[in-house]
Amino acid sequence: MTGLRELQAVVGRAVLGHDEPSLGDVIHGDGMASAARLQIYRHHYESSLAEALKAIYPVVCRLVDERFFAFAAHEYIKASPPRRVCLHEYGADFAEFLASFPPCREHVYLPDVARLEQQINVSLHSPAEEALGTEAFLDVALGDYPRLVFRLLPSLRYLESPWPVDRIWLGQQEGREGAVDLGEGGCRLEIRQRGEEIVFCRLDDRQFILRRALLAGETLESAAAAALATDPMFDLAMALRRLLAEGLVVGFSLASPSSRNPV
Amino acid sequence: MTIPVTEASCKAGIGLRGPHLAAVVASPPAVGFLEAHPENYMGGGPALSALERLRRDRPLSLHGVGLSLGGTDGIDAVHLSRLAALVERLEPVLVSEHLSWSIVEGVYLNDLLPLPYTEEALDVTARHIDQVQARLGRSILVENPSSYLRYRHSTIEEPAFLAELARRTGCGLLCDINNIHVSGRNLGFDALAYLAGLPAAAIGEFHLAGHSVNQVDGQEILIDDHGSAVAEPVWALYRAALTRFGPRPTLVEWDSRLPDLSVLLSEAAKADAVMAANLTEAGNDWAA
Repeated sequence: MTGLRELQAVVGRAVLGHDEPSLGDVIHGDGMASAARLQIYRHHYESSLAEALKAIYPVVCRLVDERFFAFAAHEYIKASPPRRVCLHEYGADFAEFLASFPPCREHVYLPDVARLEQQINVSLHSPAEEALGTEAFLDVALGDYPRLVFRLLPSLRYLESPWPVDRIWLGQQEGREGAVDLGEGGCRLEIRQRGEEIVFCRLDDRQFILRRALLAGETLESAAAAALATDPMFDLAMALRRLLAEGLVVGFSLASPSSRNPV
Repeated sequence: MTIPVTEASCKAGIGLRGPHLAAVVASPPAVGFLEAHPENYMGGGPALSALERLRRDRPLSLHGVGLSLGGTDGIDAVHLSRLAALVERLEPVLVSEHLSWSIVEGVYLNDLLPLPYTEEALDVTARHIDQVQARLGRSILVENPSSYLRYRHSTIEEPAFLAELARRTGCGLLCDINNIHVSGRNLGFDALAYLAGLPAAAIGEFHLAGHSVNQVDGQEILIDDHGSAVAEPVWALYRAALTRFGPRPTLVEWDSRLPDLSVLLSEAAKADAVMAANLTEAGNDWAA
């Protein structure tokens, strides 16, 4: 008798599309080929994952058309079966797959559009948190400000692309269809939850560098240095006021004076 | 606050799906309860906030699809922790999962694969149900699967397997009427005999849904696709289940080719009417 683990390994491999000659030894045909019965599960496995990818990457799908997307999804699913149960977490590296997928070679902007959609999806499934106001920092001594390490909104994401992926994305929304000039240059985007929806906007280089460094857990001193390296006239005080006014800070800590790491 | 099971009234509920969420929030329907897949709300975000608001005014059932209760990989500790956090946050009146497996060698097969009904599978599944119930601090309902195949070395009938799981673990059973009809037609067993093999005291909920009829390899195969109205044979089997088990919280599921919310609500109203008519025919024996 086949043990449970062995049986699940055989059936699992068959669901994933591998040839399993021993299927007939474990599955009753009941008037059909055993493989035909197993194919019902295999079809559901692949079609449901393709649907999940399409739900996360609708603009990529529109840009390449449904048939091509189905082909790309099929190849991706074959290469990257899900390792996690929540389908909204599937396909996190679809952009990297597209970047190395030869049939997409001419669509140079496509991986970054996929990255934008992936960030939107992550943002959509991030917990909401109450933002801090300026009063939360009243007890922080001025001399300790360089050691501040902010905890930013969990839904916050930053994306940099040499392509105008925001305009490409917007141009594929219903009622806003329009051609985009790929030559107009790239963008630096901030993506976040606002109320019930996900919004994104362009940031200038200095704001982008500052905020992305803060999100990565760098101290205010380190993040500010990176932004000031771009523009020595950068108004850091104004940038911090904007950060708080836009409700992006949900917590903070102080890095130890020596390591500049959070304590 | 935890709502006792009795608060999941026998008035029919509906499965809450993403495309209906805004309409349900804007105008909450007068259904007995709402049922949601916890996997869609793990992480957080606006959908979870909306579900939390809906939960304030009506009972909620969490119907999981990802625990892989019969999987030999074991229960994914991270997934179980995420489920426990949701259960704690949303205080659902019912928590349910499937008699199936879906994870093997670390790969999630995104389907509810049937188990061979053997003593080994019984031991594995019972151990996992114990683990889940201990972590959640409550009993769960386990749903009978819809099946398109059976294994050569199964030695136990599915209803007996479910009954033994309930006896060993104290779990309840979610009796999916459509699944019994679909599996019965696909595998050639008698649906009424199946119902007769389930322990009445363990039945905690009914599910109703639509299925499609397909030709596969020259044979008619019913697919449990939740993509149409409940079929007449399933309503008939539901009446038989009500007669055997009495009224239970009943859910109408619709997942693919999702219709307007009003269509789903009319199916729930029909389930209410069937339940009410059965109560009348039974001389209100079950109402006591």
